[in-house]
Amino acid sequence: MSNSADVKQLAADGSKQKKVMLTAIIFMGLAHIIYLKQYVKGVFYALIEVIFLIFLPKTISKIAGLITLGSPQPDLPVKMRDNSMFMLIDGVMVLAVVAIFAVVYYLSVRDAVNEYKDYCISKMMKGNKSSFSALLGKSFPVMGLAPSVGLVVFFVMVPLVFSACVAFTNYSAPNNIPPNNTVDWVGADNFGILFGGDASWSSAFGRIATWTLTWALLATVTCYFGGLLMAVVLHENNFKIKPLFRTIFILPYAVPAVVSMLVWKNLLNGTFGPVNRTLMEIGLISNPIPWLSDGTMAKFVTVAINLWAGFPYFMLLSMGTMTAISSDVFEAARIDGANKLQVFRRITLPLVLYQTMPLIIMSFTHNVNNFGAIFFLTGGNPKVADSTLSGAGGTDILVTWIYKLTVDLMKYNFASVIAVLIFVVLAPFAIWNFSRTKSYREGEL
Amino acid sequence: MSRKTIKHINLTIVLIFLTCICLAVVYPLIYTISGALSPGKSIASMSIIPFADGITFEHFQYLFTQTPYLSWFKNTFIIAVSTSALTIIVASMGAYVFSRFRFPVKKQMMMAMLILQIFPSFVGMVAIYVILLRIGGLDTLWGLVLVYLAGNIPYNTWMVKSYMDTIPKSLDEAARIDGANHFRVFATIILPIAKPIITFLGITSFTAPWMDYIFPKMVLRSADKQTLAIGLYNFVTDKKNEFTNFSAGAILVAIPFVIFFIITQNMLVTSMGGSAVKE
Repeated sequence: MSNSADVKQLAADGSKQKKVMLTAIIFMGLAHIIYLKQYVKGVFYALIEVIFLIFLPKTISKIAGLITLGSPQPDLPVKMRDNSMFMLIDGVMVLAVVAIFAVVYYLSVRDAVNEYKDYCISKMMKGNKSSFSALLGKSFPVMGLAPSVGLVVFFVMVPLVFSACVAFTNYSAPNNIPPNNTVDWVGADNFGILFGGDASWSSAFGRIATWTLTWALLATVTCYFGGLLMAVVLHENNFKIKPLFRTIFILPYAVPAVVSMLVWKNLLNGTFGPVNRTLMEIGLISNPIPWLSDGTMAKFVTVAINLWAGFPYFMLLSMGTMTAISSDVFEAARIDGANKLQVFRRITLPLVLYQTMPLIIMSFTHNVNNFGAIFFLTGGNPKVADSTLSGAGGTDILVTWIYKLTVDLMKYNFASVIAVLIFVVLAPFAIWNFSRTKSYREGEL
Repeated sequence: MSRKTIKHINLTIVLIFLTCICLAVVYPLIYTISGALSPGKSIASMSIIPFADGITFEHFQYLFTQTPYLSWFKNTFIIAVSTSALTIIVASMGAYVFSRFRFPVKKQMMMAMLILQIFPSFVGMVAIYVILLRIGGLDTLWGLVLVYLAGNIPYNTWMVKSYMDTIPKSLDEAARIDGANHFRVFATIILPIAKPIITFLGITSFTAPWMDYIFPKMVLRSADKQTLAIGLYNFVTDKKNEFTNFSAGAILVAIPFVIFFIITQNMLVTSMGGSAVKE
């Protein structure tokens, strides 16, 4: 394929581009060595492919394991049986490595073609020296990104892909828990069961999904307007002890959520909680109020306590935005004869709303995933009709249900289906939110 | 009624309103402090009026002598400091590359990062458990740090990258012409200018591990490796109620945080307002 003329003098008229590309495709780095005389780079690329080829049999067996997930071996001791979960995770990791290899391969081909184009323009072979220093310069972004990419791929992406895969298996107690038993692919069966196939599971899912959305909406709206109200009241009135009030109001934000939620859980305890005891002592109520043990009441309480914990954030945010509004605007309005209320309704409020809108969306997605606010306050309780089967109580949201399905019931398959679902619902919000950011709009991405 | 009286009445109403909110905000906090100082164990035996049971420091003594509170504190501190330091290094390097270099698949990588950051990392907890098991990271503090670090990277890289985009490129180009390599430009020019966002990043990644419950519960098994959140949670489970001990432990953690927030509240207001305007 490479005659001596090619090696000595590579045609610089662009005619050999196809040949360079093909050589680069046949073996990684080959084109760099044969045509471009960039031996360091070429050997480096070639070495990557050699290592990959050495491990190829292992790679293939891991991918085969991913497809079969092992076969049941009841006569072997537990330790020697196929462990489907290890096979699944190894398979996903190997796929990640193969994907990274494919990207590097693609980049090496691209680099070879680009180097050839450069050569055609400059008519000069760069050889080793210049491309070696260029390689050092180029290696900075690679080294700078390698830790991020490695961590994100193996601790964020692989787990998520793994979760998505589990949604299509029967990985669940009692019959399919490795290492005793194997796990099998079951297609979309789990989705079927949760979305209508099995009446009690579907109704539990419907109930929890509805409450999750209601909760996220109420939690976001109450915190936002609560915070805005406090910011306005503090901003519009002038009195001496204003800083004191602001300092007190940020306290719930400063106290870690686990602590404050557990404190509230104790204060609101139906039988011995101080809140009920105080109300009874004063004579406001004669029987204890079931703050956390009545289904409807508990839902209101979670939203109210979340307001307690969440309004300071939006208060700070609105205050920041209000102080950032230029005073010229207010002055102009005052000169035009607008009164205080008009200024607030026509100028302050719209500006603050406009500028904090992306954060409202972020807060909504945060609340959908707000594990702490539910888990530490109510633990998902009180129990409802389907609790024995689904494990979820009246105030459980989808993420706390995922936790319970995983830790208590070991129904990993259903937990994964829900995780996939949350992803599908929330991803557009995140993308929309970021598509509005400055760097994205200016095309710098 | 004169204008002045109306103004006075208005102000009084506002003050009454604010005072009511204040009471609601402060009530649980006061009661927690009172719990930490009250004799007895359960919240059931406490008086409904804070501090009415007398004051004792026995719970603090109990925490330091009878429970591994100090070791919980030490473990959590180690985890928080390492997570914070590593997050700063990894995320700022990544952000610098994203902000200053053009390279293939950059767009796809940025997009992947922003989609990944919406997921709470415990969604993949089964997989993380198996991976840690495979690399020997179970029941170790570094295993937990690795999990936190990886979870921090997508969002924070974006955040730092957006900030670095606002730093004029002419600055680093001038330094490059003077012969500085990329690493020097990054360390001596970009990092100092990006200090505000790096500080913010350091603080947020330092505070988060203090109160995380799920991952320590999953990763750390042995008694000497527990963290504060787990230790405190175990004081007030369904089976036992040691509200007073819980309160004592909780306020020792909360007080540094509260002091910090009160000192930095002005900075918080401006930086939050600023970030909203920028985005």
